[in-house]
Amino acid sequence: MDQFFQQLVNGLSIGSIYALMAVGYSLVYSIMNFSNFAHGSVIMLGAYFGFYALTLLGLPFTVAFIIAAFGTAAVAVILERLAYKPLRDRRAPFLYFIITAMGASIFIDNSVIATIGPTPKTFPPPLLPAFLQGDPLEWGALTIGRIDLTIFVVAAICLVLLMIFIDFTKLGKAIQATAYNMKASALMGINPNFVIILVFAIGGGLAGVAGVLYGMKYQVFPQMSAITLKSFIAAVFGGLGSLPGALLGAVLLALIETFVSGYLSTQYRDLFAFIILIGMLVVRPSGIMGKDAEDKA
Amino acid sequence: MTEAIPLLELKGLTKRFGGLAAVNNVSLKVGDGSISGLIGPNGAGKTTIFNLITGVYKVTEGEILFQGKPIHNHEPYRIACGGITRTFQNIRLFKNLSVFDNVYTACHRSAHYNLLDSVLRLPRYWREEKQLREKASGLLRIMGLEERQDISANNLPYGLQRRLEITRALALDPKLLLLDEPAAGMNPDETENLMRIISEVRKMFNISVLVIEHHMDLIMGICDHIHVLNFGCTLADGTAESVANDPKVVEAYLGAEEVTA
Amino acid sequence: MDYIQGIAILIGINLIAVLGLSILTGFTGLFSFGHGGFMAIGAYVAAIVSSRLNLPGPVALPAAILAGAAAAAIASVFIGKLTLNLKGDYFCIATMGFGEAIRVILNNIDYVGGARGWANLPNLTSWWVVLVLDVVFVVVAWNIINSRQGRNMVAVREEELAAQMAGVDTFRSKMIALVVSAALAGVAGALMANYIQFIRPTMFNMAKSTDLTIMVIFGGLGSISGSIVGTILLVSLPEVFRNFAQWRLVIYGLAVIVIMVGRPSGIMGGVELTPSGIRRIFAARRAKARLEAELKAAEQGEVA
Repeated sequence: MDQFFQQLVNGLSIGSIYALMAVGYSLVYSIMNFSNFAHGSVIMLGAYFGFYALTLLGLPFTVAFIIAAFGTAAVAVILERLAYKPLRDRRAPFLYFIITAMGASIFIDNSVIATIGPTPKTFPPPLLPAFLQGDPLEWGALTIGRIDLTIFVVAAICLVLLMIFIDFTKLGKAIQATAYNMKASALMGINPNFVIILVFAIGGGLAGVAGVLYGMKYQVFPQMSAITLKSFIAAVFGGLGSLPGALLGAVLLALIETFVSGYLSTQYRDLFAFIILIGMLVVRPSGIMGKDAEDKA
Repeated sequence: MTEAIPLLELKGLTKRFGGLAAVNNVSLKVGDGSISGLIGPNGAGKTTIFNLITGVYKVTEGEILFQGKPIHNHEPYRIACGGITRTFQNIRLFKNLSVFDNVYTACHRSAHYNLLDSVLRLPRYWREEKQLREKASGLLRIMGLEERQDISANNLPYGLQRRLEITRALALDPKLLLLDEPAAGMNPDETENLMRIISEVRKMFNISVLVIEHHMDLIMGICDHIHVLNFGCTLADGTAESVANDPKVVEAYLGAEEVTA
Repeated sequence: MDYIQGIAILIGINLIAVLGLSILTGFTGLFSFGHGGFMAIGAYVAAIVSSRLNLPGPVALPAAILAGAAAAAIASVFIGKLTLNLKGDYFCIATMGFGEAIRVILNNIDYVGGARGWANLPNLTSWWVVLVLDVVFVVVAWNIINSRQGRNMVAVREEELAAQMAGVDTFRSKMIALVVSAALAGVAGALMANYIQFIRPTMFNMAKSTDLTIMVIFGGLGSISGSIVGTILLVSLPEVFRNFAQWRLVIYGLAVIVIMVGRPSGIMGGVELTPSGIRRIFAARRAKARLEAELKAAEQGEVA
């Protein structure tokens, strides 16, 4: 039973990271109706931004987070303006966007490999804040790693802030309106371009935070952009286009992965994400919380 | 005395998106060989009805009968093969293909050779491809597009693009042709021309036509029968004259004013 | 000479996979992140057939190729049935997951060498086998594209909804494209296994999939001759720029973005390097010029 709760803790930790990634991806998807397949590279950049802010610039830990988030927000917006917007303006087919995203992701990933190099980097413990440096916390029979706790708390804060922003602020409502119907919102005076930039920035920022957290828990390396597959699967699992769905899907995915890994075998952990994806597509493609993916015309 | 089965019949057709009924309990009949009009203010549900007929949307309530048999909720391509084709409000041509290829592609149902025939270039492929080419050329000639057949579809002027869309819709040998605002953006001359084409097409291909339009001259000029929609509901239904003089129609279009015919 | 022959064989092997991907992405408009996975299936099944089944000499390679292609094709049917009826994003995500899943599975099967790979596979692939197969598959691809099945695929790419309204069974068209492309990737994988004589799951990861797609893109979507040119270029370039190896992919990534934003028709501009293809371009230009002249004359007639 103890092992069960231990796995639960692990699962929630990784689930928090997945949640930040999946929500960032779903946010952009809900507005643009398109999957930003370069999302993983943005996550990876976030990890590097955070790492260098901490080690090279010697900035305090929280500031490093903020720099990473703003850095990736900027990257996401630049990507949108330079690569996606021209395609949007030309009403290019869906295929072109995916190809461009692939190109961007190859460009970013390999730029990092070519300049910084492929060897993984670890967040040096001495540079982390004091509370992260002690022994794991004991809570009854549970051992909670300090990093895991931090991840959970940071992710929770970010997601709560996001929820407050979307549900209660004017800008947030503008985003909701645009997600529902871009043309109608534009007619109501909401500038779609502005909303698009905002949404990419927020999605990018969340990706950046996710990247730093992931880098802290494991390591920072260029190939970590592949983690984005988990965010896509989580989003599909929870229902493409639904933010609560992305959160739910992410947490469930992580929990299932952790339990499989803990009780069955670590080797097949990544395979289970794919099995969940296939299962979802067979049973209910619109996801747990998705609406019926019906009409197009 | 039994009435002839109408070519197309909508019975109590309703389509709801969430809480909103875009089409609400609409019933109409399209007779064999007729040209019918579907009119109404913007947002009245006309294109939604087309989408329901062609299987793009699923019906919430009601039935769609084609030649007496239900076709609602069938797959769009099956409905097209069954004899109902359409054009679109915002032209959906195969833009990067030539005029010829747009029609040539759409002729595919007139051939039956399979993938193996194609890969191995068996005689059936050659024979039927030749027939397809002839059919496509023939259609283009009838519709006056033969001279333009090599041009890329997106380089055609607007009026010819619409004509090409109609030609493509005819490639499937339909019994019912749905035209969604074919005269949109046309000047009076072009509209006249279009009216002539639609009438000719009806005669030459022996088909029925259901037209969504805002151009009243076109509707009044060629439609045997008109169905008026407003906010998804039927407002009026009858001949051109009866509809034009119907006070409800006048009010919906012009406000509660009298109009001298 | 051996060195050049080696490059030529690699070009030839990759070309088969690229032809398939050209049909899928260039002509049907579907994007796959996971064709490396189909190549992997082809390679591993072929390896099992060629090295574990002790078949007589001349039969070994054809059997391996057929088995590899069939296995890949069957896997693709599975993916296709689940996702081709849904929005495009689902197919992309599923192929990404598929590619990864195959890699994880192969990493854990010791019978085929696991993550360390499987060495000492028989050397059955020779340059003339590759050449013959190249010619065969170029003809096959060409024959598919220039048929009603191929035109329907292009219709799906251009305007899927209008294609359905024109009676095209778009699901079926997409399935045909997917299965053909997977089978071809399987053939390429089989040839690869029996040429390099060593296979390992990381050889078929997402980087491989994107490599193949880039070859299609550089050559131009919708052009078979373009895919040939793209493959030749992208398989031989790395050898030329060996010193700047890391920057090669950086440039490719940037090039892809520039191509998509600037000139999606790629190197060949959507043109086929054949007599009919070239004739078509000139006919189109002539017809367009004629139309513009007529319109101008009509305008001036009205004004005057």
